[in-house]
Amino acid sequence: METNEKPAALRIEGLTKIFHLGRNKNVTALDNLSLEIKEGEIFGLLGPNGSGKTTALKLILGLLFPTSGQIEILGRDHQDVEVKNDIGYLPENPYYYRYLTGPEILTFYGRIFGIKKENLEEKKEELLKLVGLYDKQHLPLKHFSKGMLERIGLAVALLNNPKFLILDEPTTGLDPIGSRETRNLLLNLQAAGKTILLSSHYLSEIEKVSNRVGILHQGKLLALGTTSELMTQWKAGDIEDLFIKVIEWSKQS
Amino acid sequence: MVKAIVIAKNTFQEALRMRSYQIILVFALLLLGSSQLFSFLTPVEQLKMIKDVSLSGIEFFSALMAILASMTALRSEFETNTISTLLSKPLKRSDFILGKFLGMALVTTLGVVIMSVVFIGLILFKQHSFEISLFSALFLIWAEMLVIIAITLAVAAFASTAFTLIFVFFLFLVGHLTSYGFSLSGEMKNPVLQVIIKFFYNIIPNFENFAIRDQVVVGGTIPITYLLKTFGYGIIYTAIALIVCLYFFRYREV
Repeated sequence: METNEKPAALRIEGLTKIFHLGRNKNVTALDNLSLEIKEGEIFGLLGPNGSGKTTALKLILGLLFPTSGQIEILGRDHQDVEVKNDIGYLPENPYYYRYLTGPEILTFYGRIFGIKKENLEEKKEELLKLVGLYDKQHLPLKHFSKGMLERIGLAVALLNNPKFLILDEPTTGLDPIGSRETRNLLLNLQAAGKTILLSSHYLSEIEKVSNRVGILHQGKLLALGTTSELMTQWKAGDIEDLFIKVIEWSKQS
Repeated sequence: MVKAIVIAKNTFQEALRMRSYQIILVFALLLLGSSQLFSFLTPVEQLKMIKDVSLSGIEFFSALMAILASMTALRSEFETNTISTLLSKPLKRSDFILGKFLGMALVTTLGVVIMSVVFIGLILFKQHSFEISLFSALFLIWAEMLVIIAITLAVAAFASTAFTLIFVFFLFLVGHLTSYGFSLSGEMKNPVLQVIIKFFYNIIPNFENFAIRDQVVVGGTIPITYLLKTFGYGIIYTAIALIVCLYFFRYREV
């Protein structure tokens, strides 16, 4: 089945988020966003700093509450706690208890997911090997580098064998080898039937793995499609050129 | 409930690593040890003084521990943003709050037990016996701490660290003075002031209900019905505070 014939893993309709910062001070972080991501698709959310990418991801996860609009994940309301059993999330800066080691943090989250003890031990070993932290098992997270935190974050995100992965800047802090490994991992996960929503500043990273991209600026989705479609539409030579043209157009209009 | 226990276990382990918790415990033990300094008193007076100072010290340091550790347990989740990773998992907000409460109850229980063991040891060393009523006093101190933990979590769910600290310490002090204030209000001529004092008397938990050391120190016995009623009173306040905490936390963006 082609990706566009598959059911929607994520459906967003008219999503708006306004932050109230005090008397008469409102900031529209997301403005009437509508978007559909099909099962098995890798979707790249692009945008400059402050464009609303992280806000959109947090709204999807129920960490922020929408001012208006609706979100459905795998056919269920996003506020349904049970739907989170099928979601893997990697935050932009992975935040974990600093005194715990890699295996301890996986045990902690494994129990939150309700994974049985015997399955959890096997899963922990597999994931620590996958993200290259198997030989750092005794090191507390407070001694981890940014790249290592990103890796353990990825292990936590994959712990529940999720159907839908939400990755916020997954290659931040990784060296070129780590970035390539992550990229290959994402493609393997897609081949295994996972749906992936990733946001990043790294345009070339997104281009290499995404089936479709969306460009956000000032909370508005300005462009949506495959990179080749968008480059033709915007007469852009490469994805960087496309990104700049879309943002410049937005600023002028 | 299983997930609340996972959170509780983690909260307990994190709190034990807190330097402030360890320091408070050391200070409390030092205070208990220092009661030996009353050797200039007669043996009977010395024993009364040891019991009085020790029970006051256990109550004060337990409250300090409960407030600081509970506030840190919740606020640090917001400040380090670990809460956003946690709530992206299949964890109900109510399980998170219940887990935090249970974890802090366990930490505070451990503190109260350690101080109580030292206190009991001290009394056994001095008088070679230990009155059952002293256990009653220790039990009610523990029950009082449950209320304080729940109130601290409720305030920390919406307020800043500084506000939480000031507010809960203030409430702890006022809660020990409400009976006194209420008895004084009868002599006041200003009806508005009387209404205000009556209002606060009915709203603020009366922590003096938990403080039975004056009776215990002079060898008085505490009826079991009083213990059960006061414990029930504490549980009601704890439940109300946890519901308030959950109300604020349910709508909190992270």
